[in-house]
Amino acid sequence: MSSSKASRIGEETRIDKVNAELVTLTYGTIVAQLCQDYDSDYQEVNKQLDKMGYNIGMRLIEDFLAKSGVGRCANFRETADMIAKVGFKIFLNVAPTVTNWTSDNNQFSLIFDENPLADFVELPDDGRAQDELWFSNILCGVLRGALEMVQMQIEAHFVSDILRGDDTTEMRVSLVRYIEDEMPPEEE
Amino acid sequence: MAAPPRHSAMLSMNSAVATPQPMPGDMSQGPPQSLTPQPSQGLRVPSNRKTIYDRHLNRSRNAELSRASFAYLFAEMVTYAQRRVTGIQDLEKRLNEQGYPLGLRLLDLLFYRTTTTSSSALSSSSTSSSPPNRPLRILTLLHLIHGPLWRLLFGRSADALEHSVSPDTPNEYMITDNDPLVNAYISVPREMNQLNCAAFVAGIIEGVCDGCGFEAKVSAHNQPTEMWPSRTVFLLSFGESVMEREKVLERSGIK
Amino acid sequence: MSYYFTILSPTDTPVFNIAFGTSKSGGDGIARFRFPDTAQYMNQFIIHSSLDIVEEAQWTNGAMYLKHVDTYPPAAAYISAFLTPSGVRFLLLHQPPQLSNSGGSSGFGASSILGSSSNLARGSTSSIAANPTSPQTEEAVRQFMTEVYENYVKTAMSPFYKQGAEIRSPVFRARVTAAGKKWL
Repeated sequence: MSSSKASRIGEETRIDKVNAELVTLTYGTIVAQLCQDYDSDYQEVNKQLDKMGYNIGMRLIEDFLAKSGVGRCANFRETADMIAKVGFKIFLNVAPTVTNWTSDNNQFSLIFDENPLADFVELPDDGRAQDELWFSNILCGVLRGALEMVQMQIEAHFVSDILRGDDTTEMRVSLVRYIEDEMPPEEE
Repeated sequence: MAAPPRHSAMLSMNSAVATPQPMPGDMSQGPPQSLTPQPSQGLRVPSNRKTIYDRHLNRSRNAELSRASFAYLFAEMVTYAQRRVTGIQDLEKRLNEQGYPLGLRLLDLLFYRTTTTSSSALSSSSTSSSPPNRPLRILTLLHLIHGPLWRLLFGRSADALEHSVSPDTPNEYMITDNDPLVNAYISVPREMNQLNCAAFVAGIIEGVCDGCGFEAKVSAHNQPTEMWPSRTVFLLSFGESVMEREKVLERSGIK
Repeated sequence: MSYYFTILSPTDTPVFNIAFGTSKSGGDGIARFRFPDTAQYMNQFIIHSSLDIVEEAQWTNGAMYLKHVDTYPPAAAYISAFLTPSGVRFLLLHQPPQLSNSGGSSGFGASSILGSSSNLARGSTSSIAANPTSPQTEEAVRQFMTEVYENYVKTAMSPFYKQGAEIRSPVFRARVTAAGKKWL
């Protein structure tokens, strides 16, 4: 599927909406609560966010397939377009840029010009949060969970974030392997 | 656990109880001297120097996002909260506490928006151009919650606003939502059928009340009808000091 | 005119303080309080002693900007107040430039300052730099407060900011300074 077609699907898929700020504020509440509960152990907060995302991803993929009506992707490049232009468009109303492919076509970056999860956010000025916390880490988990349900084991992590003072917000996504029909994925 | 700060001491007009006044020579509980001349180094900012202060507060005003995304996040929030509590009451308390600071934020956001836009989101008449007033009376506060707050959060007003008819509880008011968004995607297990996740919204309301100086306890209750199976009533009980002040303001003709 | 601006939480914790001088009428933006050694302390004291009046006004006037609410004659200090709907108070103390010594002890009250425009170094009685209670000043302070409010809301919207916590952002401080320069 061409990437422009993916864009069109992303644009045209009709979904129920809510006020974006309700989503933003709710997510901010979750992260702030985690930071409080884990006593600003940001590594642990990242881990928890990833876990939450994983749970969401596993459920969200069904919704995604039903709403977008897209079928199986031919290759990982097509998957990347589908994630950026349809998945993110539907669920976060943004379309990150897909770029920085490795030559084996197994790794790419998503660059976020906009990130509604991080609107209004300023990280704690404690000398650590900007080095340790990935505020939007839930998104990595969402990708991992969702793709696992369609037989792709991936690894995703942020490499930069505007909230940390970087110039871009970038997530690195790597294909680990295609999962053969062996057994259902384990829940975390 | 650090609960959000709540105003415990409510001020009544004729009360002699005032805020602590630092006396000369007794600055021990006064403001820390270190506050003024030591700005922190601050956070790193991107090379374009964009910070929260550069982003217009109205930028996402009319933005919309997937309802499903909200539902997923909210469900995770509830699930996570559930793992850290014992029992339904505890869980509702926790959700309430998470909503509370949001109430304070939304209050400031609402008022900011009405001071900067011509068509006021707070007043029903779009002709008023003067900045909105802080609510001084309970009824004004309730209208603020029932209308503007609900519209900001849920895109519509709440469905009903009522005053307790019982003479024993003149301090109780009810705001009803026939179909709360927060319950739309949450399926509560049968053994927890007392649970109402709208406790989160109750916390938001409590934050709004407290922020405005109306100390209140707010709780969410399932009141299903045949037509509205997840109908929820938010019960607001205002504190004694609020009711006292209300009488004083009533007598002085303040609206 | 010298200014001392403070933000107090609903429980009277100061979360932000700044002192600055007028930038109007050729002012250099530097605060020159009458008792420089104890200014910080005195200013805090004067502001705290005006809280009673602020709290009374809070329930008779629903406006966010309450204008000039209190005067403290011993220091010729004037207090203006702005209340956020979330219960946070912005308080601005202004102190006109000191009159010549001849104005001395008898001329310390508010009325004599208002009435003795000829003694003031620069500007007329209505100027923001000289007269703390003129309509022009009330309006300038309103603009200042409104601009600070916008920046305060931006601070408060962050999920990591808890009401009552000290505001340490240098960007916020710079914004308040700029608002002071622009309006006062």
